[in-house]
Amino acid sequence: MPKRYHYIMKKSHSLSINLQPPSLRGEHAPGSHRTLSPPLGLRIIFSLTLAGLLFCFLPHAFAAESLVVYSGRAERLIQPVLDAFHAKTGIHVKMLTGSSTALLNRLQAEGSRTPADVFITNDAGTLERARNLHLLRPMEIPEIKQAIPEAFRAPDNSWVGLSGRIWVVAYNTNLVDPGHITSILDLADPKWKGKIAIPNAGSVYLQSGISVIRAVKGESITEQFLKGLKANAGTFVYGKNRQIVDAVARGEVALGLVNHYYIFRHLAKHHDAPIALHITDQDNGMGLIMNTTGIGVITYTKHLAETKALVQFLVSSEGQKMFANLNKEYPLRPGIPADPALPPRKSFHVANVPLTRLAELRDPTMTAMERIGLR
Amino acid sequence: MAFGNIPLSLRRRGSLIPSPLTFLGLTVAGSLTLPLLYVSYKALTADLAVWHRLWTTRVPELFLNTISLALGVAVGTLVLGISLAWLLTRYRFVGSTLWGWIVILPLAIPSYVLAYIYTYVMGKGGPVESFWQGMFGPDAFFPSPFSYTGAVLVMTLNTFPFVYLLARAALLNFNLSYEEVARATGVTRVSTFFRVSLPLIRPSLIAGLFLALLYVVSDFGAVSLLRYQTFTYAVYQQMTGRYDHTAAACLSLLLVSFAFLFLIAERWSRQRSRFYQTTGQFRRASPQPCSLLSTFLITGYLILVVGAAFGIPVILLIQWTLSAAAEGDVTLRFLEFVWNSVFLSGTTATLALIVGTPLAYLACRRPTRINLLIIQGAYTGYVLPGPVAALALLVLISQTVPVLYGTALVLILAYLVHFLPAGLQAMESALHQVTPNLEEAARSLGSPIYRTFQKVTLPLVRGGFLSAWILVFVQCMKELPATLLLRPVGFDTLAVRIWLEASEELYQLAAPPALLIIMVTAPVVLLLVGKGRQIT
Repeated sequence: MPKRYHYIMKKSHSLSINLQPPSLRGEHAPGSHRTLSPPLGLRIIFSLTLAGLLFCFLPHAFAAESLVVYSGRAERLIQPVLDAFHAKTGIHVKMLTGSSTALLNRLQAEGSRTPADVFITNDAGTLERARNLHLLRPMEIPEIKQAIPEAFRAPDNSWVGLSGRIWVVAYNTNLVDPGHITSILDLADPKWKGKIAIPNAGSVYLQSGISVIRAVKGESITEQFLKGLKANAGTFVYGKNRQIVDAVARGEVALGLVNHYYIFRHLAKHHDAPIALHITDQDNGMGLIMNTTGIGVITYTKHLAETKALVQFLVSSEGQKMFANLNKEYPLRPGIPADPALPPRKSFHVANVPLTRLAELRDPTMTAMERIGLR
Repeated sequence: MAFGNIPLSLRRRGSLIPSPLTFLGLTVAGSLTLPLLYVSYKALTADLAVWHRLWTTRVPELFLNTISLALGVAVGTLVLGISLAWLLTRYRFVGSTLWGWIVILPLAIPSYVLAYIYTYVMGKGGPVESFWQGMFGPDAFFPSPFSYTGAVLVMTLNTFPFVYLLARAALLNFNLSYEEVARATGVTRVSTFFRVSLPLIRPSLIAGLFLALLYVVSDFGAVSLLRYQTFTYAVYQQMTGRYDHTAAACLSLLLVSFAFLFLIAERWSRQRSRFYQTTGQFRRASPQPCSLLSTFLITGYLILVVGAAFGIPVILLIQWTLSAAAEGDVTLRFLEFVWNSVFLSGTTATLALIVGTPLAYLACRRPTRINLLIIQGAYTGYVLPGPVAALALLVLISQTVPVLYGTALVLILAYLVHFLPAGLQAMESALHQVTPNLEEAARSLGSPIYRTFQKVTLPLVRGGFLSAWILVFVQCMKELPATLLLRPVGFDTLAVRIWLEASEELYQLAAPPALLIIMVTAPVVLLLVGKGRQIT
């Protein structure tokens, strides 16, 4: 390829003249050998990088003794409680927040090397799953048994529920009268086509909700329900409950399936938003679907005493009140009143499916959802 | 002739033992492909039922969606990139130099921030829709941002500077004589553009398009906010929604295979379409002065594009940040996040240069099949979906070198796997411009290898290497999925803060970190333009 060579010679020649910085041009004529050390700029960059790499290990070396919490619950909803705990006990708490499932995956991958001491999630199914994977250790804390009813704990107390949230229908008060919706299954009625927003298949709330319906109503009814729901929702499938509530409040859709507190959160910001909550499946129905937030102690923790103190604080009257009210949820400790804005806990009954079953129900539920094409 | 472009220093005739450089380079590239191999292993040992399920339910749709998004963005970025580069290199008008810098700024905005802004601006009840319906009646059709159109718009506005940058560099190096010959033989202006100018800058366009498309295909933040199902988004959903990662691994492997084909095609077209000036004179196009009317039109166009891609988002973010600050939500804590982001990205970018140099060298000077294959393997790290690569790395590291686990180093490695290709691309093309003859001359005059590299090669490729550093730095600053999964406890970056706040509906709180990312990244991005100037 003689042509090509010819060109490259020319081109490179001109390049070298243009590009060579003045410092390198002509100052060191051939023969005036310098030592073979790299230029100063390079040396600085390399030293900085080396320092940077060493810096990576600093958190290891100087880490203060503190509890590490993996939290599937949003930082904002839990930091005040942890601050109160710190003020009371002097124990430092560090937190890593993320999606409950992602954190569980991380715990599993980390195994015995995990830095986590405590796992808090928004979904009992995830906690039960962690228990089945032997990631949680049974807690021997007498206060738990007195504070939290048995239905909201693992049989061996590997995890314990902290607050309850109900799965409800959010509706736009200008657009619809939800009186005819007596059961959540009514949402599959074709008359709601294009009028309902639902969470996507990655949502643990949807997964757990559908699991409960499957447990109560059986496979074929659930499948029909999912098909109808998918057809009705169309493209109104959201990653976040907040987006569903927004869509309902804006009137983009008439109905939405959400956890109850998202509606109150929206109302706190937009006082006269045309949105309200509708409770289904009462009287002789299967009952509302209730899920819990909960806490478990990691098997490999080296801070047993501190984790015990944290759990004790969270199930105490003070901790329960604070933890639930920060997010307008129902405290699980009997006798602690819920936020007055909520429908009173006594006014509805919930589906009789033990929370511990949520874990085993999860995988077949997800397969069913995938088969039907929910995303 | 086949060995013609290999410098003497690297020739080992008749020897099967690889040179130390080859060995080093291939080891590095090989270890970068470890996460990919792990994922492939997971996918290939998966139950056939999983494959069948995916194939019948998800794959056709995801494939179609991803391809059509890529095509839409390709058209969009080419139109925007070429037109802007052409206007700003060929015409001179008030502020044209300044505009040359400004149009690259959209690179500083993370895709998920832009997507979020557009869900607000174009969303139901948002300012644009209200205006539109005020003009054309309340029932006038208005495209939703949660659609193909929305995804193409956001991704195009986010990635066109890649094409612009490379098109601009090519146009600045362009020899005007060709166009003059065409014009002199009676070809029209438009026809000259399409038949002469465009084909000549094609290699640069393809390189720019390549960067933009790989970015689009591997993006997760924007498509998830816009609810547009692509492979990467589906993988992320599988990873965060399910305990079983087999399906995520299968989808990842499919995505990587498609990308691999794309990469091979790109390299093939790059090798086939080099244009060399063989004889004659080189004459650069000098920008023509514009009439008042054209100045007006061009400026209007520029304002439209830059306003949509950078101006409006930044104005909104400033507005939100101010209201967050008024409520006392902007604290000194943010300094810590800035430091974390900058430190991680800077370290990764420098490491990428160190690691990338031997690889780029091998690809340019010793392009044997096996070398290219392995290097191409390292390139696929760019599209291996972030969360999958991150989890693979987590497992690999905690099994093999547990002492590293829990440090920021894991995060740096994940970034390296993911973003080295972006830098490698720039380093390779810089090295390609240096003829081996120069190195050979230096070597034949007795200069040792190291000194030759330092004295001859390095000064010539400095510009390209600098832009490699910048490309890696900028993308690390914006990285999200791997950071979410791998960050050490108590170690948040700006990107993570945006995501955490935004996913909790606290958009006011998400604005300050978003603005900080842009403030840190924008000056670095601007260096890219300065460098383009230097190359010419």
